Amino acid sequence: MKNILLKITNLKVKSKEKEILQGMNLQIKRGEVQVLLGPNASGKSTLAKVILGNPKYKVIKGKIIFGGKDITNLASEKRVKLGLAMAWQAPPAIKGIKLSQLLKKISKEELNIFEGKELLERDVNVDFSGGEKKISELLQILALKPKLIILDEIDSGLDIKKLEIVAKIIKEKLVEKNASVLIITHSGQILNFLKPDLVNVMIEGKIICEAKDFRKVLGIIKKYGYEKCKRCETRPKK
Amino acid sequence: MKNVKDVKPVLKNKANFWQIDHRVENIFSIEGIIVLPSPDAWEKFDWTRNFFGEKPKEGYFVWVKKEVDFPLSTCITIASPKISQNLSNLLVVEKGIRAKANVVCSAKENNLYGVHRAKGKIILKEGASLEYNHFHRWGQKDFVNPDYEFFLRKNSRLIYNYQNLLPPENLELKTKIHCGENSSLNLKFVINSLNSKVKVNDLVFLEGKNAQGIVRLRLLGREKSEIEAVSQMFAIAPSRGHLDCQGLLIEKTAKISLVPQLICQNKDSQITHEASLGKISEEELAYLRTRGLTEKEAIDLIVSGFLII
Repeated sequence: MKNILLKITNLKVKSKEKEILQGMNLQIKRGEVQVLLGPNASGKSTLAKVILGNPKYKVIKGKIIFGGKDITNLASEKRVKLGLAMAWQAPPAIKGIKLSQLLKKISKEELNIFEGKELLERDVNVDFSGGEKKISELLQILALKPKLIILDEIDSGLDIKKLEIVAKIIKEKLVEKNASVLIITHSGQILNFLKPDLVNVMIEGKIICEAKDFRKVLGIIKKYGYEKCKRCETRPKK
Repeated sequence: MKNVKDVKPVLKNKANFWQIDHRVENIFSIEGIIVLPSPDAWEKFDWTRNFFGEKPKEGYFVWVKKEVDFPLSTCITIASPKISQNLSNLLVVEKGIRAKANVVCSAKENNLYGVHRAKGKIILKEGASLEYNHFHRWGQKDFVNPDYEFFLRKNSRLIYNYQNLLPPENLELKTKIHCGENSSLNLKFVINSLNSKVKVNDLVFLEGKNAQGIVRLRLLGREKSEIEAVSQMFAIAPSRGHLDCQGLLIEKTAKISLVPQLICQNKDSQITHEASLGKISEEELAYLRTRGLTEKEAIDLIVSGFLII
C-alpha cells in the first residue's frame, strides 16, 4: 500500500449535467510509468483535469487519494504543492507574461534550461507552434519538481524529431529520476521511447482493460480499433 | 482597504515642482529649465496668458529650453482633509528639445475627501520630443478631474503614459491632443477602478499632414466600479491613426462601457480601431492554478499581463 502514489476509486464525475467519468478505478505506484489509451471523447483528458482539481468538473462519487491523502476536494494549487503536475494538451495563451517570468514564479529552485531557451522571452503559449507548446509544458512541469506527472497527449502533432526530443526529456528528467508518469495518448507514438509498465484502455468514462504488454494492446487497437477492446474476453479482471 | 503611500518626488537639485495642498513645498529651476508657480509665470511671461486663459490660482509652469539627461519632476499632493485644489499647469518644450517628465499626483491618506482639479496645457514646439509619465495614487474618497490638452507642433513626438495606480472614488479624465504636421503620438492609458466611478474621454485630432497617432486604453473593472470610456480619433488631414481599447472585468460587481469612435474627414487618411471587453478567462485561471498559483496570484498575474502594452 505504501508504494501506491495515486489511488482512484469508483470515481464518477459530471460537467454540465453530463456524466463523463462513470466509475473510474486507477492505481499508480511510485516510479511507475502507465499509459491511458482510449478513443476521442472517452474521458481521458477529463480524468487528467479532475486529478488536478479543475473546478469545471464536479466529483459526484468516489475518491482520489494521493500520497495517502484524500485530495478529492482539494484546490488545484494545493494538489500541485503535494507533488501533482500536468502537461496540458491545449494550453491557453497568457498574454503579456513571458515564459521566463512564469517559470521564475513557479520554480522551486533555479531551473537548468537545456531546451526551449528561445521560448523564454516570449509570452506563454502566444503563437507557439505545437512542438513549442509541448516543450513549454515540460519546462513548467520540471520547474515544479513533481512526484506524479500526467502528460495529456504530449505526443500529438509532433514530427519524429520533436517526438524524440520530448521523449528524451521525459525519460531523463522524470522517469529516470523516479517520478511516476501517466501518459495519455490515442496514437501511442511515444510509447516506443518510454516503454510503460502498464497500459490502460479507457472507453466511455471507464477503464475497461489493463495489460503489461503495450505493444500487443497497440497492435490490437491498430488492427481492429477500440471496438475490439470492448469485446475482449481475455482482459485481466480488476 | 487601499494603502496610500506617501509619495515623495526625487528632489536632488534637479528641475522640479512639489505642491502640498495649496502650498508650494519645493521648487527648483536649473539653467535652461524654468520652473515657476503658474501665478508667477502669468505675471512674468505675457505669452503664457494665451495658454492659461485666465489668471491661475495655483499649479506649475515648466519651460524646457535645454536638453538634460534626467527627467523633470512634478508632484501634487493632497495631505489635509477636504482640500480642493484647482490647478492650472503649463509645460512648454522648445524647438528640437527632447525631454522626459515624471508627473505624480497623490493623496497622502486614504480618507481625506480631497478634490483635485487640474487644467493643463502641454506644448511641444517644432521637432520637440516628450515622454510624459503621469501617475495617480489617490485615496478612496477623493474626486479627481484632470483636463489636459496637448499641442504637437510640426515634427514633434509625444509618448504619454498615464496610470492610476490607486483610483479615487470619482475620476473624470479628459484629454485632448492636437497632432500637427508629421507629428507622432503614442498614448497609453491604464485605468484602474475600485469602488470608483470613472469617466474617460480622450480625443485625438490628426490635424497636420502625415500626423500619426496610436491610442491604447486598458480598463480594469474591480469591485463595485463603473467605468465609462469614450475614445475618439478625428482624421482631419491626410494622416494615420489607431485606437486599441480593451477592458477587463475582474469582479462581477464591476461595469465597463467603452465607445471607440473614428471620425474621418479626409479621404487620404486611414484610421482603425480594435476594442474588446471581457472577464478573466476561466481556462487561464485553471491553467495557472495547475502551476501552483492560488486564484488570487493567478488573477494578479493575468492582470499584470493585460496591462503590458
